[in-house]
Amino acid sequence: MNERRYVAATGALAALGAGIAGYLTFLHYTDGRIACPTGGCETVQSSSYAELLGVPVALLGLVAYAAILAALAWPREAGRWLALSAAVAGTLFSAYLILVQAYEIGAFCLWCLASDGVVTAIAALAFLRVRAADRHAGAAR
Amino acid sequence: MSRTRTNVPAHSRKRLLLALAAGALVAAALVATSLVNARAESPKPVAETASEAAAGTAEVSRLLSGIPQDGTFVGRPDAPVTLVEYADLQCPYCAQWARETLPALIRDYVRPGKLRIEFRGLAFIGPDSDSALRTALAAAAHDRLWHVVELLYLNQGAENSGWASDELLGGILEASGLDPAAVLGARGSQEVEGLLLRANTQAQAARVQGTPSFQLGRTGEALPPLTPHTLAPPPFRAAVEQLLGS
Repeated sequence: MNERRYVAATGALAALGAGIAGYLTFLHYTDGRIACPTGGCETVQSSSYAELLGVPVALLGLVAYAAILAALAWPREAGRWLALSAAVAGTLFSAYLILVQAYEIGAFCLWCLASDGVVTAIAALAFLRVRAADRHAGAAR
Repeated sequence: MSRTRTNVPAHSRKRLLLALAAGALVAAALVATSLVNARAESPKPVAETASEAAAGTAEVSRLLSGIPQDGTFVGRPDAPVTLVEYADLQCPYCAQWARETLPALIRDYVRPGKLRIEFRGLAFIGPDSDSALRTALAAAAHDRLWHVVELLYLNQGAENSGWASDELLGGILEASGLDPAAVLGARGSQEVEGLLLRANTQAQAARVQGTPSFQLGRTGEALPPLTPHTLAPPPFRAAVEQLLGS
């Protein structure tokens, strides 16, 4: 895959993730009802793990996706590293949140799981993109 | 040596490790903050100290003293406005509403006979929701449901941690002026089953998808849903005042 395709795929995923996080953030501040077939979303979103120091986790996710989108627009090398760091942080924090849902809350939020999948896919793409760029640079020397 | 190792410059590998480490550091900070945050927000159980339990008991006693209760209702039956609350006793936002907004509504509207409130309990979060709710509903037969509910919220523990133990529930019943053995023994009674079923049916009819949810209207009429933008008192006060016509 070439650089342009990595950027396009990452951008599409980050936009999808931002949509999910934006939806959850909007509901948080408007006390809206989550469209959730299992009912676990409300339980997770009303748990003490849904906020960090008063800031909704969904809003943090929105900021992370926005950072990844911004990184895609940056000069190539700096943007690649920033996108990778943000996506790795998001993936590891998502893994923690999945464990919390399974073992602390006892319910799963499908929207959160979808976002977890998106950020993990972004991290994989960001890693492959960095490696591809490095190999390209190595070959050019 | 693999082809990758041969082609990737050493400084790039170092930067890759730095990027991964930076991400891991940010994630570790987020996890640590989340753990501290969750622990700080989990209220301590009543049994931890006798003085805390006594403080909760005195607070609830003052709040509800002299106000008529009838089953799941608190307030005079001829109050012109009725508020219905759908709640899970493990739901932290329900506890927040009970601590921050309910006292103001009781002081300003329920006590003067302008408002009555009905508790419709749901138990969807887990086993502690069920045992706590059944205890509160068993107390409804003695017109002490609101004492028990408020004390449960003041002593709410971490979700599904086993906090709603018989020991805690017995202490709360005793603090509410009830015979713990008799009320705990009635948790599986037909009356309790009937109240559980009725609340579930009403919640389904009202399309309740989470807690707390509210309905507010004139007593005796159909109660439309109330969807406040915050659980703080202002939107509740405004809605009640509007119905009271002031």
